[in-house]
Amino acid sequence: MSEGEGAGHVEEHHTTIWPLVVGFGAAIAYVGLVASLTLLGLGILVFVVGVGGWLRDDIRSPSTSFFGHLPAAVVRVSARKLAVWLFLATEIMFFTAIIGGSYALRVKTGNWAQPGEILNVPLTGLNTFILICSSLTMVEALAAIERGDTRRLRMFLLATFLLGVTFLSIQAYEYVKLYFTEGLTFMGAPGGVNPLYGSTFYLQTGVHGAHVTGGVLAMAYATLKAFKGRFTKENHEAVELVGLYWHFVDVAWIFLFTIVYLI
Amino acid sequence: MAETATAATGAVVEAHGRKRPYLIVFAALGFVTLLELNIGILGLAHAHQVITLIVLATGKAALVAAYYMHLRYEPRWLILIPLGGFAMVMVLVIALVGPTLT
Repeated sequence: MSEGEGAGHVEEHHTTIWPLVVGFGAAIAYVGLVASLTLLGLGILVFVVGVGGWLRDDIRSPSTSFFGHLPAAVVRVSARKLAVWLFLATEIMFFTAIIGGSYALRVKTGNWAQPGEILNVPLTGLNTFILICSSLTMVEALAAIERGDTRRLRMFLLATFLLGVTFLSIQAYEYVKLYFTEGLTFMGAPGGVNPLYGSTFYLQTGVHGAHVTGGVLAMAYATLKAFKGRFTKENHEAVELVGLYWHFVDVAWIFLFTIVYLI
Repeated sequence: MAETATAATGAVVEAHGRKRPYLIVFAALGFVTLLELNIGILGLAHAHQVITLIVLATGKAALVAAYYMHLRYEPRWLILIPLGGFAMVMVLVIALVGPTLT
């Protein structure tokens, strides 16, 4: 945790233009999605340049907590942690809307597949356990750097990264099997099952898989930074923040696994 | 900052003067997942099975949020942020699903 840090680190907080560049690039790309491919390409280019510049700056910087001009003991939650929680609140809305909308379609249209009828529940149960393991390794990574143990930090971050890759690999295997062998496509389902079953399945699990992919990329970056020795007992807030996102992805999967696979 | 670590294996980490039972939470998550996969052995009616599964999933999510995301150790007001987002969207979900159930 980062409590107790910060009040003395105000002077170390740097402003940077790169998040603005990233946001600008994303905005151009979104407009390009509906307007023109050239604009889309330009947006992606600006976005990638922004991300590159941001990462280049960040990897050289310490990962201190920023509490503004008030003492950390008063504020208690750093600016970046608060921002991550606000971001996670929007993610909760996003996932709840997708899961709720899919469930509403299921209830209103009927003829859904029974648990295990099409989907491989034991395999996904294993994948769920892998994600739970990754949450443990992630929180152990944070605990390690809180003790100043950089060796275990590197070990646990690398383990989390590898577990994330394993989760995605199993999901990719499941997709290939379902799509090409079982006949569960984006617009159809086997055995007279409601075609919306396939659409909602790929929507829910695909959106989650995209989030895991983002988490794996963030984990790769954090691991690289750890191997470069950029995290210390005093400067490691990024580990906690990437962990918050990773655990959220785990929480989202806990509900998805139950609703999509078990009910 | 963490003052001490009681076990090199990370079984229980002490920070801010509090014990953090990461491995115990992990064991609970694994056990509940196993129970979810074998929910049929309880012999519940379908509706009861669905409710049980939702309750188990909510319990697992609460464990992760409380201990791994450290909400248990943060200021109380912080939990209002994720709960606020959840509450807003539940209005939408109830509006979508509710009329079908009644």
